Amino acid sequence: MNKEILVEHLTRVEGHGRIEVTVDGSKVKDIKLPIFEGPRFFESFIKGVKYDKVPDVMRRICAICTAAHNLASIRAIEKAFKVEVTPQTRLLRDLLINGEIVESHSLHLFFLALPDYLGYPDAVSMIGKYEKEVKAALQLKKAGNMIHNVLSGREVHGMNDRIGGFSTVPKEEDLIKIKKAMEDSRATAELSVKLFSSLDIANFAQSDNTLMALDPGEKYGYLGDHVLISNGERRSVNDYRELTNEVVVKHSTAKHSSYKGSPFMVGALSRVSLCKDRLYGASKELYNQHKNKLDQRNSLNNNLAQAIELVHSVDRSIEDINILLSWGLKREGLTEIKPKEGAGVAAVDAPRGILYHDYTFDENGCITKANVITPTAINAANIEKDLRVSAGNLLSQGKENLQEPLELIVRAYDPCISCAVHLVKVNSIKCV
Amino acid sequence: MSKPRVGIYSLTGCAGDQLMILNLEDDLLDILDKLSIVAFQEASSVKKDEEVDIALVEGSVSTKTDLKRLEEIRKKSNMVIAIGDCAIGGCVQAMRNGETTLAEKMRDVYGKEEEYFDVVEPYGLSKYVKVDLEIPGCPIETTEIRQALLSLLQGNTPDIKDYPVCVECKRNEYPCILVDKGMPCLGPTITAGCYARCPSLDIDCVGCRGPIKGETNAAEGIRTIESKGFGESYIVNRLRFFGANSEEVSKVLKTKQINKLEGEI
Repeated sequence: MNKEILVEHLTRVEGHGRIEVTVDGSKVKDIKLPIFEGPRFFESFIKGVKYDKVPDVMRRICAICTAAHNLASIRAIEKAFKVEVTPQTRLLRDLLINGEIVESHSLHLFFLALPDYLGYPDAVSMIGKYEKEVKAALQLKKAGNMIHNVLSGREVHGMNDRIGGFSTVPKEEDLIKIKKAMEDSRATAELSVKLFSSLDIANFAQSDNTLMALDPGEKYGYLGDHVLISNGERRSVNDYRELTNEVVVKHSTAKHSSYKGSPFMVGALSRVSLCKDRLYGASKELYNQHKNKLDQRNSLNNNLAQAIELVHSVDRSIEDINILLSWGLKREGLTEIKPKEGAGVAAVDAPRGILYHDYTFDENGCITKANVITPTAINAANIEKDLRVSAGNLLSQGKENLQEPLELIVRAYDPCISCAVHLVKVNSIKCV
Repeated sequence: MSKPRVGIYSLTGCAGDQLMILNLEDDLLDILDKLSIVAFQEASSVKKDEEVDIALVEGSVSTKTDLKRLEEIRKKSNMVIAIGDCAIGGCVQAMRNGETTLAEKMRDVYGKEEEYFDVVEPYGLSKYVKVDLEIPGCPIETTEIRQALLSLLQGNTPDIKDYPVCVECKRNEYPCILVDKGMPCLGPTITAGCYARCPSLDIDCVGCRGPIKGETNAAEGIRTIESKGFGESYIVNRLRFFGANSEEVSKVLKTKQINKLEGEI
């Protein structure tokens, strides 16, 4: 049997991973996505830290979905201490997560995924032929980052969104600037749908996918307290352990998840498939126009699903800003917090899918246990499933032709490996 | 003149410093045009194993694999620049260094599977190799990395701040949230360069640019915050977030530990 490292170091993904294939004659015996990013032990070292500074540390799990980690962390603490926030705070948080979707999806679609399809090593090399498009994509990404900057204080690891509200409310003039930037970049978001819907998407990865997404309520979105599953179930995020069943696998610093014995998928394709009836406006029209290209059994369609979300989140940002401006922004201050013994679980549907934070506190408000499950860790087992199916379908064309299609699959999930490592503990303490 | 060859490498961390380079957005294409990029794992499939003039390295050394990669990078680079706190002092993942053992952390997070991973206690690059310049921040500032790259292109040494965040508060006339409001601000011990962003938003500095090298008066910082009614373990935890491997901070922490033990006796 011949074990081969097919892709030594995955590029255009966040973090460090590779693809290993074991071939026996004409058969694929095994395929793995080893993740060799160093573990970071957040759940271990956060123990003993007082609640008020927990989000400041925990958001540093990830750079590209920093606001999602921050929000999950903040909301888990608010649930533990039964803190209610104002409608203005809720709307600002919705705007923040939509900004993060715009920043993250535009980076992934134009800079990480598209070069594969156009035959370039990176987006900068595309400048010769696609200068206008690359520059427009940078402006769209910047519009998303403006939301990070104005609402959270900076592009990465922003600190202004806090437990109980926003420390300083944004200025109306800054919200108007964001709205203008989003309006100016709207056509670029639509261009991403046009580009990814016109590509010929191969079906070598075609296989059953179990899907999960947060129930966003009436309107399409990324925040909620219940999980929708493609088998029709709807479960509380408090049941997250049963929904993920994480186990340590020997080849990876990211743990693997399963539900009812099968791997499952989270992210844009899951959200669009499970919440298509909550889409509205332009993104709804685009969904209807391209729904035959959004088959949930082909994970490569995650790119087009992200493009549809890009349009949704640009429009939603504008909508949120219009409501905020019509209300007039109030300096509400932060809700007062009385720490007590307790626990809280919160989830955010981050750009790459469902993210859980679960904390337990002692009577002084210091962490005794923490558990974080990230979307890329959840997706890792499903990515391996797709790689196995694809390698089986493609092996007859020769091993040397496997690398590109397999990398294509991994990138379609937009994996954030930095996020996936370190996390969760499954031992008897069960807590973390 | 030929363009300087630049490699952008990443060890263990959140990849946020590479992302901040991409976040240069308006200036990104102009700056990249002045450089010959030979490696940029997050953004490009180009991987040339060749010597570079400048290596920008983010992330901490958290595994033996990280260390091997770092040694290879050092060997082929004329200049090694540590970008971000992870590469300087290990950042948050190092906060329990010297407090809990690696085995304890492994057991805590991965159960009994500790033998699977080649982990080492997280440290910055300079513990292992010669580092020519350190650009602080968690994450680095886009303005600072832009200026650093432009300075290097002109053959100048980039300007890295060696004074505390307090100076930027004073310069901007922000009211002192430590003295006036009694918030547990770490500004007096932390390297400036962030435009005092947190105090400007009415938030106490959490220390994300790390203690000022060789200048930090951590003992005085702790004393001031203690006088505002905060307990020692609270303050020590906070200093550890971004300073557990800092010589200045660990000196103070050691003294504290000794005093505490003596107090208990």
